Amino acid sequence: MRILWNELKKILTWKMMFLLVLVNSVVFFLRIEFYIEYFPNGSGIYSYDIGVEMIDKYGTQMDDEEFLDFKEVYDLQVKEADQYLQPLKGFVDAGIDSYEKFNTYDWGSSSEEVYQLRNNVYHEDKVDTFWELQERERLIEFYEMKEVLPGFDNAKQEKRYKELIAAEKYGVYPSVAIENFREFITNVAIAILFSVVLVISPMILRDRSRQLLALQYTSKKGRNLYKTKILAGLVATFIVITSLLTVYFSIYSLNKTSMYFDIGMNTFIGNESWYDPTFYQYIWLTVAAIYVVGFVFGLLAMSFSSIVPNTMALIGIQIPFIIGMLIFGMRPLIKYFILIWNPQWLAPTAYNTMVVVSVLFINYLWKREKKRDIVS
Amino acid sequence: MDIRIVWHECKKALLSPILVGLLLLFTAFNIFLIVNNSYFKDELKVANRLVENYGREITDLSLNQFEKDLQVDLVKLEKIIGQELSSVHEFLDGLNYEDHELYSESDWQFIEQLRLKEMYLGMANEIDGKYTRIDLKKVAEETITQTKVSGNAAKTLRNEYEEFSKRFEEMKQNEEHKEWFFAGNAYFMHKFLFKTVFLHIIIEALMLIILSTVLITNYEFENRTHLVTYGTPRGRRLMKDKLGASVLTAALLTTFILVITLSIYFTVFDYTNLWGSSISSAFNWEYNFPHVAWWDLSIGFFLAGVVVIVYITMLLFSGLTFALTTLVKNSYVTSILMAIFFVLALLIPGFMPTSSNLLFITGYNLSILVMNIPASFMGSSGLFMFKNFEWMTAVCWTIITIVLCVFSLKWFNKMDIH
Repeated sequence: MRILWNELKKILTWKMMFLLVLVNSVVFFLRIEFYIEYFPNGSGIYSYDIGVEMIDKYGTQMDDEEFLDFKEVYDLQVKEADQYLQPLKGFVDAGIDSYEKFNTYDWGSSSEEVYQLRNNVYHEDKVDTFWELQERERLIEFYEMKEVLPGFDNAKQEKRYKELIAAEKYGVYPSVAIENFREFITNVAIAILFSVVLVISPMILRDRSRQLLALQYTSKKGRNLYKTKILAGLVATFIVITSLLTVYFSIYSLNKTSMYFDIGMNTFIGNESWYDPTFYQYIWLTVAAIYVVGFVFGLLAMSFSSIVPNTMALIGIQIPFIIGMLIFGMRPLIKYFILIWNPQWLAPTAYNTMVVVSVLFINYLWKREKKRDIVS
Repeated sequence: MDIRIVWHECKKALLSPILVGLLLLFTAFNIFLIVNNSYFKDELKVANRLVENYGREITDLSLNQFEKDLQVDLVKLEKIIGQELSSVHEFLDGLNYEDHELYSESDWQFIEQLRLKEMYLGMANEIDGKYTRIDLKKVAEETITQTKVSGNAAKTLRNEYEEFSKRFEEMKQNEEHKEWFFAGNAYFMHKFLFKTVFLHIIIEALMLIILSTVLITNYEFENRTHLVTYGTPRGRRLMKDKLGASVLTAALLTTFILVITLSIYFTVFDYTNLWGSSISSAFNWEYNFPHVAWWDLSIGFFLAGVVVIVYITMLLFSGLTFALTTLVKNSYVTSILMAIFFVLALLIPGFMPTSSNLLFITGYNLSILVMNIPASFMGSSGLFMFKNFEWMTAVCWTIITIVLCVFSLKWFNKMDIH
C-alpha cells in the first residue's frame, strides 16, 4: 500500500499537474468554451425556450391532444404577428397585412425596400414573435411528419425506426440541448484523452531510463513492483478522469439544460437511437464511454512506456493511435455512439476489442517483465 | 561546427525507426488524402485547355472567339439531339432520368465538356460586374463589426483597408483577375491545396521536427552518456553541432514531406498551363470575397512563397525547440510545452482587448503565419491582412529565435552537468 502510494506520487507530480492544467486550458479555450458561452447559440434560444415550455406543459411526450394545444398557442402568436404587421405602412403597401401573407410572400423577387423591412423585423427590432413562429412552424412540421420514413442504409435501421414509431416515441422535441451536449462531451473526451496519455506515458520509462530497475527488482518486492506500478497508473488514470469530469460538468451546469434531463433520446428531433435512455441516462452513458476510452489509452500508454527506448519514441509511437482515435474513433464511439446511423454492434464491439487488446498487451508485458534480462 | 559531427548527430534522428515510421505513415496518409479527393480531376483539364486555346489572359477578343467556338459546339449538340437550344443548361435542365440512355457515351462526354465550357464562359462574363460591385469600405466595416474590433484597432484596420483599396484598383487596372484558373466555387482547389493539404504537411512536419530536435539535443542526457561526451576535448561545443544538426534534420524532414506530397498532388491534378495565372484570378474566388494578393503573384510564385514560409517556420520551430530543450532538459516536458506553445500562439490574439493594437501585434506569430497560409500575401484575409504580415513575422521571430538559441548556448556553457 505504501509503495502504491509512493508510485502514485511519482506519477502525479506538481510539474505534471501544471502541464495538465496547461493542456486542459488550451483545449478548453480552443474547443469547449464556445459550447458554454454561446449556448443557446443565435436563434437556438427560441428553440430552447419553446422546448422548455413544451416540457412544462406536456411532460416528456406530446400526444395528439397536446399537439392541438401547441397549435393553439401558435395561432395566438400568429394573431400577435398580424397585429404587429397591420400598422406598418411599408408592409401593408406591399400587400402584406397578415402573417400568412408575410410567410408566403415571394421574398426572392421582392423590392429592396420591403426586403429591408423584413430584415428589420428579424434583426433590428428583434421581434421575438417572428423568430418563435418560425421555430413553432418547424416543430409543427416535425410533428406532422413524425411517421414518415426517411431513407435508410440497411434493413436494421428501418426496423428500429418502425419500432420507435410503433412505440409512439416520435422525435418532436427541439434538439438544441442534446446537440450542444454532444459537441461539448466530444471535446471533453478529447481533453481527457490527451490528459490521460500525458500523465501516464512517462511513468515506466522514467524508472528504466534512470536505471533504477536494477535496484528495484533486486529488492524484497522484486519484479512484482511492475504490477504495483500498473496499479498506480490505473489509479492515477481514474483520478485524472474523475477530477476532469467533475470540473467540466460543473462548467456544463452553466448551460442550464436540466429541464431536458427526463426526455428520452428518441423524443428529440433527429436522435433515433438503438436504445432509449433519457437525456440524464445518456449523460451517464457517455461518461462510462469516456472512462473506457481513458482506461484503454492509459493502459496502452503504460505498455508503450514499458517497451520504447526513449522519450521521442514514447511520444512518436502514440501519435498514430491518438490521431486515429480523434479522426476515426470520436464520432462513432463518443459523439453518435447509440444513434441508428451507426451500426448497433459497432460501439460495443469496438469498446470490447479495445479493452481486450489493451489488457492482453499489458498482461504479455508483465509476463515478459518477469523473465526479462534487466542488465542489458 | 564540424560537418562530420553534425551528420552523426543528424543520424541519431534520421535512423530512429519510430521517426522514419511516422514519416512514412504521414506521407502515405497525405497521398491517400489527395487521391481520395481526386474524383473530379478530369473536369479540371478544361481550364488547361482554355489557356491552350485562348491564351492565359481573358480579353474581349479571346472571349469573343471562345463564345463563337461554343456556338459551333452548340450547333453540333443540336444535331445530336435534334432540337433548338440556347444553352447546354437548358438541355440538361429539361432532361429526364430515362432520357439518359438516348445518347451514347461519347455524346455524353461531349455534352459534359460543353457544360463545363459554358460554366467558364458564364463566369468570365460576370467578372466585371462582380468586381465593380465590391466596395472595400463596406468590407472593412463588415470585418470590424464581425470581429467586434473597436478603438485603435479599428482605426489601424481601416487605414490598412484604405491602402488595400488602392492595390485593389491597381489590380483591376492590370486585369490580374482576368486570367483563367479552375472555377473556385465549383472545385475549391485553392482551399484544397493550401488549406487541407498544406495543413496536413505543416502539422505532420511540426510533430516530427519537435520530436527529432528534442531527441538530438537531449540524446546524451537520456542515454546517460553525457559525462563522457561533454568531457571530451570538443566538450560543450558539441551543442553548436547539435543546433546545426537539429535545423538540418528539420530541413530534411520538411523537404521529404513537401516533395513527396506536392509531387503527388501535381501529378494527380493538372496545372500545366496554369502556373502563370494570377493567384488573384476571379476564377479563384471561393467564398464571399475573392482572393486578392498585395502583389502581382502567379500561382507558381505564390506556391513558392508559401513553401518558403513553411521552411522558415519549421526551421525556426526547430531552433525554438532546441533552446527550450537546453533550458528545461526534460524531453517529455519540452515536447508537450512546444505543442502547447504552438496552439497558445493561435489563441493569444483572442485574449487581447479588441480595442487595442495588441490584438494585431500578438497575431504576428509563427503559428498564425503558418496556419494562415491559404491567405498569405493577401489583403483579403480578415484580421491579419496587413501587407507586412509575412515578412515582419518571419524577421521578428528569426531574431527572437537566434537570441534564444545564443542565450541557451551561453547558459549551457556554464551549466552544471551531473
